[in-house]
Amino acid sequence: MLSITNLRAGYGKIEVLQGISLEVPKGQVVTLIGSNGAGKTTTMRAISGMIAPREGKVMLGDIDITGRESHRIARLGLAHSPEGRRVFATMTVNDNLLLGAFPRFTGARKKGDIAADVERAMEYFPRLKERRLQLAGTLSGGEQQMLAMARAMMMNPEVVLLDEPSMGLAPILVDEVFRIISRLRSEGVTMLLVEQFAAAALNVSDYGYVLENGRIAVHGPAATLKNDPAVRAAYLGGGH
Amino acid sequence: MMKSRPLLLAAAGLVVLALFPVLIENPYYIHLVETISIYAILLFGLDIVVGYTGQVSLGHAGLFGIGAYSAGVVIMHFPDTPFVLVPIIAIAVTALFGAVLALPALRVTGPYLAMVTLAFGTIIQILINEMDFLTNGPMGITLSKPIVLGHEMSDREFFWVVAFLLVAALLVVNRILRSHLGRAFEALRGSPVASDCMGVSVYRYKVYAFVVSAGLAGLAGSLYSYSEQYISPNTYDFELTVLFLLAIIMGGRKTRSGALLGATIIVMLPKLLDDIVLFRYVAVIFAALVLIGAAIFVAKGRSTLQRVAVPVVGTVALAGVSFVLTNITDWRLAIFGLITLLVVYYLQDGIVGFVRSTLGLHGHGRTDAEAAALLPSPVDAVSTSVAATATPAMQDLVAADKVLMQFGGLKALNDVDLHVSRGTIHGLIGPNGSGKSTMMNVLTGIYVPTGGAIAFKGHSIVGKTSARIALAGIARTFQNVQLFGEMTALQNVLVGLHHTYRSNLLDVALHLPRYRREERAAMARAYALLEFVGLESLAGEEARNLPYGQQRLLEIARALALSPELLLLDEPAAGLTAPDIKELVVIIRKIREHGITLILIEHHMDVVMSVCDIVTVLDFGQKIAEGTPAAVQANPQVIKAYLGGELTAPTLPAAAAPQGGARIGSGSDPSSPGSLG
Amino acid sequence: MQILTQLVFSGIALGMIYAVIAFGYQLTFATSDTLNFGQGEALMLGALVGLTLVGMGVNYWLMIPIVCVFGAIQGAVVERIGVRPALKIKSEFGWIMSTIALGIIFRNVAENVWGRDMRPFPSPLPEAPLHFLGANVRPMEILVAVGAILMMAAVELFNRRTIWGKAVVATFNDREAARLMGINTSLVITFSYALSSISAALAGVLIAPLTLAGPNMAAQLGLKAFAVAIIGGLTSGMGIIVGGIILGVAEKLTGFYISTGYSDVPGLVLLLIVLAVRPAGLFGKATIKKV
Repeated sequence: MLSITNLRAGYGKIEVLQGISLEVPKGQVVTLIGSNGAGKTTTMRAISGMIAPREGKVMLGDIDITGRESHRIARLGLAHSPEGRRVFATMTVNDNLLLGAFPRFTGARKKGDIAADVERAMEYFPRLKERRLQLAGTLSGGEQQMLAMARAMMMNPEVVLLDEPSMGLAPILVDEVFRIISRLRSEGVTMLLVEQFAAAALNVSDYGYVLENGRIAVHGPAATLKNDPAVRAAYLGGGH
Repeated sequence: MMKSRPLLLAAAGLVVLALFPVLIENPYYIHLVETISIYAILLFGLDIVVGYTGQVSLGHAGLFGIGAYSAGVVIMHFPDTPFVLVPIIAIAVTALFGAVLALPALRVTGPYLAMVTLAFGTIIQILINEMDFLTNGPMGITLSKPIVLGHEMSDREFFWVVAFLLVAALLVVNRILRSHLGRAFEALRGSPVASDCMGVSVYRYKVYAFVVSAGLAGLAGSLYSYSEQYISPNTYDFELTVLFLLAIIMGGRKTRSGALLGATIIVMLPKLLDDIVLFRYVAVIFAALVLIGAAIFVAKGRSTLQRVAVPVVGTVALAGVSFVLTNITDWRLAIFGLITLLVVYYLQDGIVGFVRSTLGLHGHGRTDAEAAALLPSPVDAVSTSVAATATPAMQDLVAADKVLMQFGGLKALNDVDLHVSRGTIHGLIGPNGSGKSTMMNVLTGIYVPTGGAIAFKGHSIVGKTSARIALAGIARTFQNVQLFGEMTALQNVLVGLHHTYRSNLLDVALHLPRYRREERAAMARAYALLEFVGLESLAGEEARNLPYGQQRLLEIARALALSPELLLLDEPAAGLTAPDIKELVVIIRKIREHGITLILIEHHMDVVMSVCDIVTVLDFGQKIAEGTPAAVQANPQVIKAYLGGELTAPTLPAAAAPQGGARIGSGSDPSSPGSLG
Repeated sequence: MQILTQLVFSGIALGMIYAVIAFGYQLTFATSDTLNFGQGEALMLGALVGLTLVGMGVNYWLMIPIVCVFGAIQGAVVERIGVRPALKIKSEFGWIMSTIALGIIFRNVAENVWGRDMRPFPSPLPEAPLHFLGANVRPMEILVAVGAILMMAAVELFNRRTIWGKAVVATFNDREAARLMGINTSLVITFSYALSSISAALAGVLIAPLTLAGPNMAAQLGLKAFAVAIIGGLTSGMGIIVGGIILGVAEKLTGFYISTGYSDVPGLVLLLIVLAVRPAGLFGKATIKKV
């Protein structure tokens, strides 16, 4: 569904990604893990068009989306829940969800019944239902993460990019977030997950890539990757 | 540095100007050149605010008016005042108004500052118009040429006075802007945060910039009164202030020749527009020049067809339009507006800047660097004030207790204790959002902590400004490089050495021995600091053109210029390649050998482990571990904070055999311990 | 006392005009962190175009939507030529100077097309003053206040009720995240400039019957509206109404009790004081520095 070949990207003079390749097959959850500064978020941004790749190719299904503007990529069905959540703080939970469905309003995606889908999102995330008319900026970190994920699902996306959902969340909420990801996985959502917490991420994924200093150091099925000492080395340095 | 070339050029210029009214007797032309000279004096000052500190000032027509009316009011009410005093009074009064203008301008930038200056200029014009008991209101004030020793100056004699003052102003302004004061102004534009953290207080230098600029406007204004011999309030309006800005943009900022060229353009342009026939000739010639120039540029590959399209079409259209219209004076303002638009987008460095870059000429930055290389090296460039103020009993250089930093509902730092011992390299690590950078910002005064105590060398630094903390001995580098981009590497370090200068405005203007000593010493030390980090060959390069790794090293050199006792490095290895990181570690160790204590925020664990004596780990704004690198690395809580959950396999070197994961290492070999990436 | 009430009412009407222009600043600033230094000229063009239309026999009420269309085009032109190139090269200096330049060009064009004289604008409402709280209030002044409030309410409604309005608010909240929703933020910015000029043009045809119409009518308006935007805070809608009223009333009182020449001064001085003491404005929120 989503495939990246030889991607190079960075900011200004800094080259962060030094040529990475990965694939997210349809219906699978693929996770990208690595320590800070390795380039995980840069990868997400290069895919969704927030930054322009310098080299390489990004394909969404059959469509080449390399270097396109981010709003066009979104309208093609790629939903990106960004690092830090970035919900629309002065708007209600309900409005945030409606905006997630924006490509359906413009006709870029099939319209369907948006109101019904909003209700469905509320069922999925009971916490949000209670706070339907609350301003998103007043929600707690965990609730904002729920909202960001629900918002991303609202466009009935082909692929979901989920960037560091656990960041800044207390451990209990982290568990809840990963439970939801697990549920989405069982419903066949195609997802690329970027996480700092390797263990939790690998537990809910089908396949994993370990990013180290802008390159893929190791990759493999999630279950086997969990036991690989290279994973811990990538985070805390040195295999000693 | 202290070349005699500007002096020689100035003397030559003075001679030329002095001869001018002798050779050309027509008073019209004398007055024209006189007006250009007067405007140029004002523009030297405006350039300080616009070109150097990088702010848009829409109030300089008002300052010009204050200068003119200071002279006018003095002459009107006290006609016997000696001529020598009048410009001095005008400078003083206008400088005072400049300081008043600086007050609301202190904490604002960009469009806010532009509006503040516009409001100021408007108020001034209104006051001049309304306070007719003082200024004679709309009737204006009539003056004669100055009377010296009972004799009224002739046109020619007054011209000589103006010429002399122009050259004097040019020399003085040039010296100021080439000195540490000029560098401070430029730093304000490059990065206000970095300025403050290098001990150059943004507030203070903003005020200086406005005051100096106002003083020059005052001088220009007083001369203008005598030159025109009649002043009235409606001259000093929005149109004039925009004209001044246009002059700077068109001529070229940060250059004296640009200001002179700009003054010439804005004086000659309206005259040109009054004569339609002449204008047609000029427009056609100009369009031809642009067309030919564009063709050459595109042919040589220095520009594309798309980029030259607008200027070419614009100038040709202007030439065409000039044949259709019979009277172009009415369209004067529209033409100014169009020129402004074109210049802002296509001639960003002005004509002088464009000519310089086309001809490959460099500013004095490069020659200064070459001269600095020849100076004798100081004994110890990385000297600190450790020896002078060290009290053996004081082990804790930094003692932060129960620090709380709250933003609204978020506790970025929650009850954190941090004690840093003198002479150690103290690492600060933690996952994203754990509060490391917040701690750094609190220690350098960028944030004021919501609660808790922070003591440096036994004294509290809570509530002190960043500039004062920097001067007290804490220096830092930034996660997102905050160099002064348009200045050379050497000049960046020199800003860090700002604190070594005791010279004042007079020392600088007259190049007195104290200033020359200090400048020489600073240059030598700055060069030596660049040698310390290995960047001496790039001393004359603009900081923004340096490769990323060198930029980070430059930040370190600049921070060391503060002679700090404590150096805070914020993710110094981020984005660096493996060889750069090795070099960084060497430099960090060298810094410690010079007696400087370091706090290091890093994500590169290998760097932290190999270089730090003690490591503090933050998570969610709280300290979760502290100890030697090895202890911290093995601490299960730390592992959990970083990796989350449980990882099944222990990390024994013996378990190096792959357990099934496909290992297609397209980068570093993860099984070699200690590889730095 | 009667005079005082009258001045206050006139001041409120004037203040509402400032508020509408300030509203235009808020629109563009919210979505793009830029504003149009030629906003006063947009008002002036609206008034003059309106004058021409009314002179050709078009009914005042019919003229209003036509002027709005003109305003939208004018705003889009300013954005395309002046603001977009500056945003692309991230130059603050760029859009400040180019919106100033465009303002000057528009004023010069107006001077040549309509002449420099100030001309009376026929009022759509009867001139006979109404009596309210013991003072004379001109019906036009009431129309101004009502019109201004209606305009701002209409935009608020648009923002809250339609998905397109929500897209605009989303752009204001977080431009990058809005793009991730599929929102074309470039278009939103152009739209906000069009809307900003519409509000200025509308303000022009509302105030013109009360004053005279001509190329110089906007001389200080842009600046004083900025003062209102600052006093009210560039992000608060209620703030600019309060700020506008304060400024309008202060001006009318100064003009009467001190002298008309000084009437512009209190607003400008207030601007300077507010920026010196509270740079975020009275109602605005201070931003946290991120290093």
